[in-house]
Amino acid sequence: MIKKNLLLLLALSLLLIFAACSNSSDSSTDADSGEDGEVSTEPVSYHVFNATAGRDLDTNTTRIGKLFEEETGVNFNIEYLVGDLNTKVGVMVASGDYPDVIVPDAAIDTLLDAEAFIPLNDLLEEHGQNILDAYSDYLHMFTHDDGNIYYIPFGATVNEYIPNPNIDQGAFWIQRGVLKEYGFPEVNTLTEYFEIIERYAAENPQIDGMNTIPFTGLTYDWRFFAFSNAPNHLAGYPNDGGVMIDMDTHEATVYADSDYAYEYLKTLNEANAKGLVDRELFVANYDEYLAKLSSGRVLGFFDYGWQFGDARNALRDAGNPDREFMALPIVFDGVDYDQYLDPPAFTSNRGMGITTSAENPERIVQFWDNMIKEENQKLIMWGFEDEHYSIAEDGRYFRTDEQLALASKEEERNETGMATFEWSWPRLNGTFSDGNAVEPRRQPEVAFADYSDGDREYLEAYGISTFAELFAQPDDRPWYPVWSANIEQGSPQQIFEERTDELLRRHYARIVLADPADFEKEWEDFVNAYRSLDVDAYENFFTEVVENRLNGEW
Amino acid sequence: MSIQQTPTPIEPKQLTPKQKPTGFMLFVQKCKEQKVLLLMSLPFLIWLFIFRYVPLYGWTMAFQDFRPARPILEQDWAGWKHFEFLFTDPRFFEVLRNTLAMSFINLVLGFVTAITLAILLNELRNLTFKRVVQTISYMPHFLSWVVAAGLVSYTLSLENGIINIILTNLGIVKEPILWLGIGEYFWGIIGASDVWKNVGWNSIIYLAAITMIDTEQYEAAEIDGASRFQRIWYITIPGMKTVIVILLIMNLGYILESGFEAQYLLMNPMNMDYAENLDIFVLRYGISMGNFSLATAAGIFKTVVSFIFLFSANSIAKRLGEARLF
Repeated sequence: MIKKNLLLLLALSLLLIFAACSNSSDSSTDADSGEDGEVSTEPVSYHVFNATAGRDLDTNTTRIGKLFEEETGVNFNIEYLVGDLNTKVGVMVASGDYPDVIVPDAAIDTLLDAEAFIPLNDLLEEHGQNILDAYSDYLHMFTHDDGNIYYIPFGATVNEYIPNPNIDQGAFWIQRGVLKEYGFPEVNTLTEYFEIIERYAAENPQIDGMNTIPFTGLTYDWRFFAFSNAPNHLAGYPNDGGVMIDMDTHEATVYADSDYAYEYLKTLNEANAKGLVDRELFVANYDEYLAKLSSGRVLGFFDYGWQFGDARNALRDAGNPDREFMALPIVFDGVDYDQYLDPPAFTSNRGMGITTSAENPERIVQFWDNMIKEENQKLIMWGFEDEHYSIAEDGRYFRTDEQLALASKEEERNETGMATFEWSWPRLNGTFSDGNAVEPRRQPEVAFADYSDGDREYLEAYGISTFAELFAQPDDRPWYPVWSANIEQGSPQQIFEERTDELLRRHYARIVLADPADFEKEWEDFVNAYRSLDVDAYENFFTEVVENRLNGEW
Repeated sequence: MSIQQTPTPIEPKQLTPKQKPTGFMLFVQKCKEQKVLLLMSLPFLIWLFIFRYVPLYGWTMAFQDFRPARPILEQDWAGWKHFEFLFTDPRFFEVLRNTLAMSFINLVLGFVTAITLAILLNELRNLTFKRVVQTISYMPHFLSWVVAAGLVSYTLSLENGIINIILTNLGIVKEPILWLGIGEYFWGIIGASDVWKNVGWNSIIYLAAITMIDTEQYEAAEIDGASRFQRIWYITIPGMKTVIVILLIMNLGYILESGFEAQYLLMNPMNMDYAENLDIFVLRYGISMGNFSLATAAGIFKTVVSFIFLFSANSIAKRLGEARLF
């Protein structure tokens, strides 16, 4: 008897489950067809995979995410990358089992190849008018050859472009104390740069009891480009990847074996002979590099600002403003002006896409469309009014010291959701319609308030109001950055890049560390090896990319 | 030992009351006798088949321009293209040399040190000390190579590295040596760090082999006046020989697996000529470029080489009359 009852119960519960399942699918179709065009706001949760590092969370646990959920009913459960990106995405692709939304970062080509993303054109047409408006100047850049849009890139510049007041991109950095010691001289060429470092190192063989490291660099693993990109910048070009684009002919040429690279390596080789180059330049790993910078005994190096934020913070916390680093726009003798600052650019090959697994994708588009509204972008970028920023009488946004401290606190940024939404989602760049910067750090009022007394001393000495003012304004380069061109998996270009990377690492190290007498021979060796690759095909590929982009085809 | 069949001079008996089954009948009869054992091994055979043989169909990828998310039979066939890329790449033979060299060094060093440690531990009479030593020597095995490589690189660093501090203070070298900056040292560094990391772990199996040796042999030897060293030489080592040979044969099968993490993490522009091994090569040109076909081709190549090594080692052992795998 009991057995029979149990069976009945089991059968009933199974029936209920089926009923529940069919019910839910029913209701979703209702929502679809129901209120013509209008999408329901009943609660729904989507699974997001974000290929950057972070802490997994539900967006509705943040203050901003909660507000958005109230407006659209959508919650996102974000899973961040743990481990290796290509492996993770490779497994997804192999199984065909995707999260609803993916931010694939560098693995985007793999997912496009696998046709994991759904075309968004119709959805945007129907539910994403705000997105289309914000991105109107850029739509052609991420519309693919088949006429479809598969993902929304981040950061459409609207209204006016504001350059970053601080340098987070490439530059030759120098310990500020060196400049102070010699009365804040103007240092503009590579020769001057090494002269002043040499002099300071000779007069100060030790800093805080440790041996002074006059010049070092970052060469570890994939970050090697921070060493090999320098000749390009010294020649007065921005970071277009492995090529530089002629301003007149728009031709792409590689610079790895150019005269610029020769001069750069020659300078380093001579500096090495004088004992100015860190012996561990090509040996130290990333952590060791950061540790060295943080120790305050490094006088100069070339790097991109975003790579050594940890070291900068450590030096700031150490409390000696003269040990901090300052970016200098160093170029070769004879080059008129530098191009270190990024031109206003739009990275078209990164973005957030909806996969074939997502049900009711219009709900996601609706969420995006809501968040890109100006008032919501203000919420995401600036935070809550009077808590994270205040508005002056003339309508300008600013931050008081307390607000600055609060808005830079990691926990606060996580709790409000600013950290979650400010990147990896459709977003704006530039300025809002009322003239305030989209990003607070680009608002001059905020940037200036954030400078320490030590910073101000240097700014005054050089007669500038932000550190970026030392640098030349970027020229107009409508094709920038060419490295964002989609390079097909396994294509000759990709193999060329891999081989080049390997050659540069091996030979640049040898060339720099060679006895000056052997320099020419090592250089010849490298040029021969490099030219045995199909350089022309690579250059032609990018010349074509530039040409296409000038014609409006991205 | 194979049984030698010598022709007997005695006349075969005329009457054979019950003929011994041969060939297939013998097989069937044996199967019947051992049916319980066979049944017991069946699950493992099934496991082996499903997880080791069925996935082999993936080898077809090596002959295709494989694109994910498409059924395997709808791929474009590419013939031997990927093998060609592999074998004609100018770096390939250097990579192969590095792989074999590091593997060989790891193999020899690994065997010698693990066996030595096992024998030394076995000779210890103080049990507490023995356990402490054993635990300490195991511990690095459980460290991830990421941590271990960090330790190695710090130990070898120019200014704070303990190796350089010791060498300079003892006056053996005048200037600290940039260990990781000299390619020729790389194989040695990998070998040494591998020993440091794995010696304790590897010695476990030898310790187990030693405990199998009959203690009466030692007693007898002691009565005969064998010294401690003689006892090791004539009893312990021959007693371990079977295990050593079997392990050697099995490890030769892994000769192209020289490890990956250690080399990858300790590699830098100055030593990459000696550091890059087959796995790193495959990672760079195969997996990180989404070229799974090339990675599969390299995998097949490795399997073939492993097979050759395994079979030759086994047949050499057979000829020498030693224990062997099959």
